[in-house]
Amino acid sequence: MKENSEQVIDKSLKLAVCFFIASAGLWLLAAAFFAYIASAKLTDPFFLSSFELFTYGKIKLAQANAFVYGWGGNSIFAVTLWIVARLAQAEARGKVLLLFAGSIWNLAITFGLLGILDGHMTPHEMLEMPVEVWPALFLSYGIIATLIIVVHRSRRIKNTIAPQWFLLASLLWFPMLFLIAWNGLELNAARGTVQSVLSMWFGQNVIWLWLTPVALGSAYYIIPAILGRPIDKYYLAVFGFWCIASLAPWSVVHHLEGGPVPMWIPAIGTVMSIAMIFPIAVASTNFHATAFQDINKVWNSLPLRFVIFGTLSYTISSYIGVVFSLPAVAKITQFSIINEFHFNQRVYGFFSMIIFGMVYHMLPRITGNEIAKSAKSFHFWTSAFGVLILLLAYLIGGLTHGVLAQQPSLNWASSVISSVKPYFLITEFAFIVLGFSQLVFVINVWKAIIPSPFELLYKLNLIKKGATS
Amino acid sequence: MNNLLKFTTGIFLTLAVAWLAFVVGARIQFGDLTPISESLDEDNEIPEDADLFPMPQPGLAELGSSEYLALGCSTCHTQQVRMVEAGFDVERGWGQRPSMARDYIYQKHVMLGNTRIGPDLTNLGTRILDTEWLHKHLFEPQAVVPESVCPPSPFLYEQQEFSSDHTIELFDEENNSSRFLAPSSRATRIVAYLQSLKQDYELPEMAFIEEPEAIDLEDLSTSDSDLATNGMDLESSALPTWLSQQITSGKEIYSKASPGGGMCVACHQPNGQGLPGAFPPLAGSDWVLGDKDRLIKISIHGLQGEIAVNGEKYVGVMQGFGQPLASPLDDQQIADVLTYIRNEWGNSVSSISPEEVKAVRDSEKDRELTSMWTAAELDNHNN
Repeated sequence: MKENSEQVIDKSLKLAVCFFIASAGLWLLAAAFFAYIASAKLTDPFFLSSFELFTYGKIKLAQANAFVYGWGGNSIFAVTLWIVARLAQAEARGKVLLLFAGSIWNLAITFGLLGILDGHMTPHEMLEMPVEVWPALFLSYGIIATLIIVVHRSRRIKNTIAPQWFLLASLLWFPMLFLIAWNGLELNAARGTVQSVLSMWFGQNVIWLWLTPVALGSAYYIIPAILGRPIDKYYLAVFGFWCIASLAPWSVVHHLEGGPVPMWIPAIGTVMSIAMIFPIAVASTNFHATAFQDINKVWNSLPLRFVIFGTLSYTISSYIGVVFSLPAVAKITQFSIINEFHFNQRVYGFFSMIIFGMVYHMLPRITGNEIAKSAKSFHFWTSAFGVLILLLAYLIGGLTHGVLAQQPSLNWASSVISSVKPYFLITEFAFIVLGFSQLVFVINVWKAIIPSPFELLYKLNLIKKGATS
Repeated sequence: MNNLLKFTTGIFLTLAVAWLAFVVGARIQFGDLTPISESLDEDNEIPEDADLFPMPQPGLAELGSSEYLALGCSTCHTQQVRMVEAGFDVERGWGQRPSMARDYIYQKHVMLGNTRIGPDLTNLGTRILDTEWLHKHLFEPQAVVPESVCPPSPFLYEQQEFSSDHTIELFDEENNSSRFLAPSSRATRIVAYLQSLKQDYELPEMAFIEEPEAIDLEDLSTSDSDLATNGMDLESSALPTWLSQQITSGKEIYSKASPGGGMCVACHQPNGQGLPGAFPPLAGSDWVLGDKDRLIKISIHGLQGEIAVNGEKYVGVMQGFGQPLASPLDDQQIADVLTYIRNEWGNSVSSISPEEVKAVRDSEKDRELTSMWTAAELDNHNN
């Protein structure tokens, strides 16, 4: 009976979730393409230099936006919708509306990225897409979020559990953050460096309060679901949740250390960043104490292997992040390419790896089509290898960059940046590996959603029978 | 946590507290800063007739800031000089003082940036005075800074075969040919913006960290005296020990950019090529290879105004290193560093001894140490 109701729920979700995952995959490829061009331009400045469309600065921003809003946004919708519906034991509502809003979201991002490449970006972190597309993004987000909340409200069990807190909080935080930033940067635009504080606060919070909670919520859902055992020390989860909720929005401004803003701003940021060790410790205890009780099962289940890679990466790199927020260390690494390390470890090593695991868990259940184990395994190893190389290059390269930049006698271009150049080459290699890996992921996903594309075309009467035989 | 409304209120409140502090609080504290004079009088008032800083951006520069933003330059270039305790930006010569919130109140787009793959540009307008250099760098950074990873922007220029009124010559050493660039209006705007980037004034809340270079000195003495030169030409390829010691010590002084060193490297660059249009080269320079006394005089007292080096015109100021800086160079040190630059980068002429430096010092003992030479003055001297 239970099995049956789950199938009914999955059936109701199929169209919307498949749409979001399929679009997320395409955005992931777009981001990988941009990432490669950007890294290639750093190793050879003349690469594509005669095309104004491809200046390094624009490509870099296009990559970040395609990654966060395209891949991140779509996969957040898919994962949140599916987990919320599963936990609520309720069917999805308004399928057509979900598809409609999802299309608007994707169209708006497409126009937004074209706008960036055409030079119409704003100077605000993670709000670089032209102002014209944001109302459309906000509206479509509102529709999707409302429909997910409607599913949550019709749940059969009143009590909520950790995955629901994290997923719903993330769903609600984004519009709050956006409205605050939109008010302070566009409607009642602040002057001077007040703008910089707000734009940095928004940009970092998008990562901390939008992407991060979804990944954490997914991990809280999938680890007990696959292992069939409850989360170890589950009573800590509520503490961890409220710690993140109350500390993360404060901790993100430590990047302004020494900058042209009153000193209390980065000082509070630093203190709160150090306090972040509590929620990090809670999440890692919950996840790893549970997972390591049955490590064989974790290893043999590919979705779980992805997720545990993500949670381990979260723990390790968040602690590294705490160390780098200490003023003595921040002094060295503040403006170095270590920033790329922070961004990539969070969106690739942590968020994306967990989403990959979730997608491999969800898709067979929704579509009924299994994904070949070898294909998933290839994706895992190339991803893990690519991410590791990428992060190591940015970490060591960032330290080199920072330490040399602190020696005023060294010439900037010929000593400091020349010493970092080898690491640029390594990141270019890593982005090629990751690009292949993501291509495999997208093929896996599309094959599961549309196992035989030609048959679909017959059904839709788009091609005549016999045309392919 | 089961009631969605209470839950939403809760997570909104945690966010709102931080928002109140960082956004509302910041805005109340420094959201309405106004321009101010460099220093205040005893009553903490702005003195009458004082210039107010920062000054609004010129119109062309403001247009340029939009072009700068549209090309994504701020991805690699910051525009903030950090506090002294937070980094070595001032020591690196990126500013005379840390940047303050007040400096940014007139900027249309505030682009503090967070990564420095390129150098900080807060005070680019005080570092690079030469428009042509900026245009060349924009067109092809590698033409002026060979190691640069900055992508070229050829789409901002029209390339021509022949020079005309507004073209810039780009000389290609490999082919021994020249290209001529006609800047588009966008390129002109960007260069105007880059030249407008300067925080070269003090604020009541932040004074200069290092003394700015003296630019106008009134009492240029014109004492005349002839000097005996006791030059000794060295033709041997195997350097005697004393000479190689002098060169080694000179190289150290040349490269050391902190007080106590010569700081030569900051302008003339490690390769001795200077920066085209801004700082003259030492390699192959007629000033370095030529008259020793003239070279020693410049080293002791400094040089200002327009000079011609190998036919190229330069306008600038070089501080003398005999004058009472934090730690002036003594005769031996000046002799060492001059011997070094006369025997490096393909240069190979006679060394300079401490005695020669002392002789020039003695002969010019009436001249104030802070009084810089001009090219015309030096020419008179030698004739």
